[in-house]
Amino acid sequence: MTATQNLMGFGLKILNRLGGSPMLDDPKLRKAATAVIRGATSTGFRLIGTVSRQFKSAPRPSKALRPGAAGGDLFDLTPTDEQQMIRDTVAGFAAEQLRPAAQAADTACGTPKELLAAAAELGIGSMQVPEQLGGAAGSERSVVTNALIAESLAHGDLGMAVACLAPVGVAVALAEWGTAQQQATYLPAFTDEKAPVSAIAVLEPRPLFDPFKLSTAAKRTDAGGYVLSGEKSLVPMAASAELFLVAASTPHGPALFIVESSAKGIHITAEPAMGLRAASTARVRFDNVQLSAQALLGAGEGDFSYENFIARSRLAWCALSVGTAQAALDYLIPYCNERVAFGEPISHRQAVAFNISNIAIEAEGMRLLTWRAAALAAAGKPFVQQAALARRLCADKGAVIGADAVQLLGGHGFVKEHPVERWYRDLRAVGIMEGGLLL
Amino acid sequence: MKVLVSVKRVVDYNVRIQVKSDGSGVVTDGVKFSMNPFDEIAMEEAVRLREKGKVTEIVAVTIGGAKNEETLRSALAFGADRAIHIKEEGEVQPLTAAKAFAAVLKKEGAQLFLCGKQAIDDDANQTGQMVASLLDIAQATFASKVEVDGSKAQITREIDAGLETLEVDLPAVVSVDLRLNEPRYLKLPDIMKAKKKPIETIGLGDVGVAVEAGTKTVKVAPPPARAKGVMVKTVDELVSALKAKGLV
Repeated sequence: MTATQNLMGFGLKILNRLGGSPMLDDPKLRKAATAVIRGATSTGFRLIGTVSRQFKSAPRPSKALRPGAAGGDLFDLTPTDEQQMIRDTVAGFAAEQLRPAAQAADTACGTPKELLAAAAELGIGSMQVPEQLGGAAGSERSVVTNALIAESLAHGDLGMAVACLAPVGVAVALAEWGTAQQQATYLPAFTDEKAPVSAIAVLEPRPLFDPFKLSTAAKRTDAGGYVLSGEKSLVPMAASAELFLVAASTPHGPALFIVESSAKGIHITAEPAMGLRAASTARVRFDNVQLSAQALLGAGEGDFSYENFIARSRLAWCALSVGTAQAALDYLIPYCNERVAFGEPISHRQAVAFNISNIAIEAEGMRLLTWRAAALAAAGKPFVQQAALARRLCADKGAVIGADAVQLLGGHGFVKEHPVERWYRDLRAVGIMEGGLLL
Repeated sequence: MKVLVSVKRVVDYNVRIQVKSDGSGVVTDGVKFSMNPFDEIAMEEAVRLREKGKVTEIVAVTIGGAKNEETLRSALAFGADRAIHIKEEGEVQPLTAAKAFAAVLKKEGAQLFLCGKQAIDDDANQTGQMVASLLDIAQATFASKVEVDGSKAQITREIDAGLETLEVDLPAVVSVDLRLNEPRYLKLPDIMKAKKKPIETIGLGDVGVAVEAGTKTVKVAPPPARAKGVMVKTVDELVSALKAKGLV
């Protein structure tokens, strides 16, 4: 008998005596004591096992058996080949066309027309329009593909990406919720290289703005149409827009109205902001604008969900923030490796290296949450909660990444010679914006 | 007129190439691949010739492993009507590729073979020339301008002394240089349409070619790291520094 077994035997003896004790007839006490006994014995037996187990060999396989690669059903968010090709193309456009023009567009508060035309030529608008109406949309919702496009454009410049994507959002809304008549009237124009400049107007200039409690209201007229009144803030591309999609309250809850900019009673004032300057944001006031009965997106039928609309709009801003956060990271890494202070690259300092690592981690987290919500939205599954998580993270971390990028560049972060000050300003928009875009 | 354009899948030109620690090649795991930029120029030229009404069909061809299908998809998105994938998982050297392309060119009866002047991975600059020799047809390399007129083509090429213009009888092989054109951005709807275009997959055996390894890669090594420079203040200092190093 080994010493351990001796010890075990002694322990068991005590435990057995305790187990049979009349003292434990009280049910509460007995329960506690049994637990103690069970715990003690099982530990004891495990200990004995460690000492005495003999491993028996099974018949030897011809070679080592290893688990194979798992099917990509859960947690595999790898873009498809087509999505990757779309991503590469848009990223190339953003790097070669948008980035070099971004500083000037920011100063001028506007994106050059030629660039908007070049972006339209890529056919992002066509991708939203069904084939039957002359577009190239597949039969499936392309929320994820649109998120990839937005991310890639924003890697070039966030403000210009907003300018390029503003009409796309209107096309997405029409494709998703428009009536057959509304689709036939407006969607074919979006396949054109001269797609109508258009924008979604949701945000209102008032404290504690809530997109679900809109001041802008659409009232029914006796003739069966609507009268639209209210004011919208930070509407991208408003001054040159031909078409607006305006969120307004109705007796049946908030809804979207298609408003052509030729309608009487629309007043547009430039509203340049801290960021998104290349998107020519403006304030749009609707003074008793008369709308026909056809103006209500979806005509109150179908499965229009204002909640889903707002969530998908927020996802667009998330995707943009991911692209710009990635741009900051891609700019910081070579900068900090090359910038020499005290005789060595600043990336050798932990204060710098850890910060950059955090940016990489946070940007990837933002991306995964955004893609996850977008994938759920594309599949027609509930996604509002996931979208809310993505928005919270992207708004918070996007702003932090912008600020950290400025800090890591030191004096260079503050001046316009480097793009990070612009990214810092643009990334602040993500937590504020409502509407404007749609995936 | 039918044009055959060869495209190669190479490590993307933006990637910072890293040599494997055992010197057997470069790291390709997790590295972005794309179409050889010179081949993109060849594709663009084929599309432009079609837009001018000179070309009726564009066929893209590549040789290599399964992943090369991605490159053919890009070619289809670019505007190729169909694609041929000569599948070969092993190493493909220029002569093997040239023999395979020559066989496809002959079978297809294409009047023009467009290819990049070289691929940016091995910079061999051999395949186009070999295709022309194997078929005993005309060739014009490093084209900076291509004009097709009936059964002839005029090719302008940049040479040391200026520009040289060659006239070749078709069928001919034309390898294209950097300044021929600037490839356009793919249109996203075309990327979606490319999915529906046909890719014919064949083996080397189907074109009667065997893999040949005329050369053997002995070792791949990164270029030596640049030594730290020395700042000089005057020309005299520069001259004496060069003399001290025995360079002048």
